Amino acid sequence: MIRCLEERSSGLLLPTGVQQAVSTDRALAMQLSKQRDVEKVHTTPINSLDLDPVEMRYLISGASNGTIAIHDLHNVTGQPQYTCPLLCTVDRCSQHAHKYSVETVQWYPADSGMFVSSSFDKTLKVWDTNTLVPVETVACRERVYCHRLSKIATKHCLIAVASSLSQVNLVDLKSGSYSHILKGHKGAVYVVDWSPQNEYVLASGSSDNKALMWDVRMAKNCIFTLDQHNGDATRCGPHAVQTAHNGAVNGLRFTADGLYLVSFGTDCRVRLWRTDNGQNMLVNYGAINNVHEKCLSIDVSSSLNPEIVFVPHDSNIDMLCLHTGTKLQRLVGHYNDCNTLVYHPFHQELYSGGNDRNIIAWLPKTASSDDYQEHLKETKLKKGTSRETKKKGANVNLMQDTWSSDED
Amino acid sequence: MNRKRTLPDVYRHRKKICGGRGVSDVQGPNEENETEVRPEPARDAQASLQYLHNLFPIDKFEGRLPPIILRHQLYSLSPNRTELDQQLNDIIKKGEVRLFKLGTIPDEFALVFTEEYREHVRKFTSRLWDVPKTTIDKFLDLAIGSCLDVSLTRDDMINELGFQENEIKDLFKAGLLAVRDVGSWWLSVPGAGTFMKSHLRGRKAILLMIRKCKYKEILQKELEARKLPKAAKLGISYHIHDVIGADLVSCIDTTSGKLLRLNE
Repeated sequence: MIRCLEERSSGLLLPTGVQQAVSTDRALAMQLSKQRDVEKVHTTPINSLDLDPVEMRYLISGASNGTIAIHDLHNVTGQPQYTCPLLCTVDRCSQHAHKYSVETVQWYPADSGMFVSSSFDKTLKVWDTNTLVPVETVACRERVYCHRLSKIATKHCLIAVASSLSQVNLVDLKSGSYSHILKGHKGAVYVVDWSPQNEYVLASGSSDNKALMWDVRMAKNCIFTLDQHNGDATRCGPHAVQTAHNGAVNGLRFTADGLYLVSFGTDCRVRLWRTDNGQNMLVNYGAINNVHEKCLSIDVSSSLNPEIVFVPHDSNIDMLCLHTGTKLQRLVGHYNDCNTLVYHPFHQELYSGGNDRNIIAWLPKTASSDDYQEHLKETKLKKGTSRETKKKGANVNLMQDTWSSDED
Repeated sequence: MNRKRTLPDVYRHRKKICGGRGVSDVQGPNEENETEVRPEPARDAQASLQYLHNLFPIDKFEGRLPPIILRHQLYSLSPNRTELDQQLNDIIKKGEVRLFKLGTIPDEFALVFTEEYREHVRKFTSRLWDVPKTTIDKFLDLAIGSCLDVSLTRDDMINELGFQENEIKDLFKAGLLAVRDVGSWWLSVPGAGTFMKSHLRGRKAILLMIRKCKYKEILQKELEARKLPKAAKLGISYHIHDVIGADLVSCIDTTSGKLLRLNE
């Protein structure tokens, strides 16, 4: 660390280098947080989480019974111990709520005043956050597994909808109806993701083992099919088609720079692809259990030095190095299968939700958080004085003795 | 400091701190060296291959099999699988080692040193009176020498390599080809059935052993001391590398050595 700062001061290291090193160190020190938890609301498995892209402050979650909840993650109390409060929910009993399981919720990329949710009740709803009333309901013909809005789009506002209809539908927010259909899959489409580099590029993964890359302006066909064998036909048999996995593809995520795509399939493999030519990078991440027949979210860190992929592995979360495939850490904490996770790129935090109905916050373990834990222990011993320290709150210097010695 | 510091060097050029971990690293192998030779933690594909090659009990099969290494066994010797795959591909391209598909599990491949394979095939087929020796030699020259794939189609065999239908039939009879699909064959090791039998038996036995332990976990040292059933001839350490590499168990480093825990 000191050497790093020294190099920076002598100009050997770019300013981003220090930032990268510190944030990587923080990300690798991630663990189940003792200081932060998220208020419990859901009574059924959580299927989807999203952070609002403007402030990275509001966490939205969708559960299997149709409930949608929004939590505030900003800690303004000044105390390290913090329970993220629930701001509002769309309850199951509400007349506007989804009838069946909410599969995906996503914030509108430009503003937290709007979010989009899709569900197994064959609808896609666009919500006004302030009134919690859907302003637009789009009926889909089949169960919707996943939908995505492009985060960088300026020239279109399309929602890509993946349903069990074996095609990707594009819903235009301007008109509130389908603008076009992308045909190419032969099974249910489980997952879609927009490229963060090119606003027209879309990737989709399906139960027919294929992952396709689309340009939504191209009327004819997809740009290319991702082929796990890189065109080496003998590996996949004489009659085989190009497949991305040997099982359904149910997780897709572009890296933050848009140069790579990470895919996750029910063959228990994670694969890394180049997005310019669809080449399989042949990174071997090892076997990671995946039996879900639905969209499973994976996430990739941004601006770290070895970039990290977060992949749910049963009830744990595996942190894998993006380019070498080595296992860096395993986050253990959920009591049941983990379905969804979202990485907070500013604070190097991770939020995950699963079948155990909890949203868990994973925070970097730092020296100050250790000190705080010790401080808590000591104050517990001195019960009488603990109230006093709480009052002082924000001004407490953790290293200083702040309790009075009245009792002694 | 309970957090493992085996993580990437984020600040670059970090000096090695002689902490608890460093000391145990130095002492660990020395203690164990007295009893047996253990693989070092990081090694390249060539060294790993050689190590696993030596682990294969040839005498147990009375010389009827060449040493067969499973590709995933290599993964148990190195944490960086991608690098290992690349090195292995280079070795395969050089023609030192051949990749074979044995069994039905997808993504499971076996490796045999090319020279040993040739020798084995010659020895094995010399006992078969109805397979002409010229066909075998042709096969070894063309199919093994020039092409690197794990399977061959009818087109490849007839048009590119110039085999006749009856020659293909002979090769099939000799166990050099195994059916994959209509008009496509896996290359095969003759007599691999005995290997697969003991491999699958052994794997089943070792997994059962771990399952029966308390918390479904056992120290590797303790497991190595146990005995496998007679039908599993491959030896316990061969199977330990197999189950670790196939991600059937996970390795956990403890102060008293590696702990193997069953994945479920």
